Amino acid sequence: MHELGVVIGVVKKVIQVAESNQLQSVDTIVLQIGQLSSMIPTYIQTCYPAAVDGTMLEKTKLEIEILPANALCKACHQVFNIIENRSQCPHCDSDEWGLLSGKEFIIKEIIAQ
Amino acid sequence: MSIDTTPPPHLCKAGVNKPTDTRLLEQFLNKGKMMGTFKTLEIKESVFENNNIQADLLRDELKEEKVFLLNLMSSPGSGKTTTLVRTIETLKDEMNIGIMEADIDSDVDAHTIAQTGTRVIQLHTGGMCHLDADMTRQGLNGLNTDNLDLAILENVGNLVCPAEFDTGAAKNAMILSVPEGDDKPLKYPLMFSIVDVLLINKIDAIDFFDFDLDAVKQRARKLNPNITIIPISAKTGEGIAEWTDWLRKQAKAWNQT
Repeated sequence: MHELGVVIGVVKKVIQVAESNQLQSVDTIVLQIGQLSSMIPTYIQTCYPAAVDGTMLEKTKLEIEILPANALCKACHQVFNIIENRSQCPHCDSDEWGLLSGKEFIIKEIIAQ
Repeated sequence: MSIDTTPPPHLCKAGVNKPTDTRLLEQFLNKGKMMGTFKTLEIKESVFENNNIQADLLRDELKEEKVFLLNLMSSPGSGKTTTLVRTIETLKDEMNIGIMEADIDSDVDAHTIAQTGTRVIQLHTGGMCHLDADMTRQGLNGLNTDNLDLAILENVGNLVCPAEFDTGAAKNAMILSVPEGDDKPLKYPLMFSIVDVLLINKIDAIDFFDFDLDAVKQRARKLNPNITIIPISAKTGEGIAEWTDWLRKQAKAWNQT
């Protein structure tokens, strides 16, 4: 369970952005999490209230967008999702591919008043 | 390690990236501009990025100080501490060594290391399953790097999370022990893909287990073509000379360039 430490890092960063932009309050934080990231979205949501407790983000909503684990097949150059296709290209059955996305853990944006 | 850019929309076709309320909002709002009472501030910052920056900073400082930091990772019970004791015995007359033992609780490993007369500090992660660059820095401060040539961080026993966080080490090493099985590169690919050297420990017990050494080498090299693989036995001393040679060479190269 490493989500809490990471979410506390997110909260610190957002507070820093909010302060430097002189925001009174933040309505929503939007995170992007890749399917191959070691961060589990439900755990992030579960520990989020603890991370914002007593901060200016106490009432801020958390929104999570999932980014797909997509790879480019080196044989047929098609894009496919490696989780859904068990790491094998569904078009030509090759298992030689390069990862395009899926490991991200990004603070995408904040929506503020 | 992580890819920081959002894939272009055409790459999302196989994916699950559903439009959200935010996406809809963006169609009407220019990012960062006021519309009604709400505005969207784009941050686009990888959360791991801050750790990566801290890790690079620490690496630069250690380079300046001529301290070679090795991050040693493995699952619990693979023989990290026993391997360290062997390593210390071999190298202690030629290098000043300091050890950081990271665990969730207890100080049994630090006691074991202290018996070799080596400088050692026990770090408690308080339930955290890995160390990041900032925690490593605190550990190094506590250990005191004055006159140290080689610092070794014994990371929390775990093949998952420590692989995700750059500690600022010059090189990363992992131990896989024979009883754990030859399928581990298949199950924990990230760990095998980020380490510079893989020690296969308890090699003296290989006859008692269904462990295919060639299969492990092949699986690890598929993930990481440049990986150095050294079979060792911390108990009998087999392979320890080759391992300490590797370490000696890496530390020398680090402290020269």
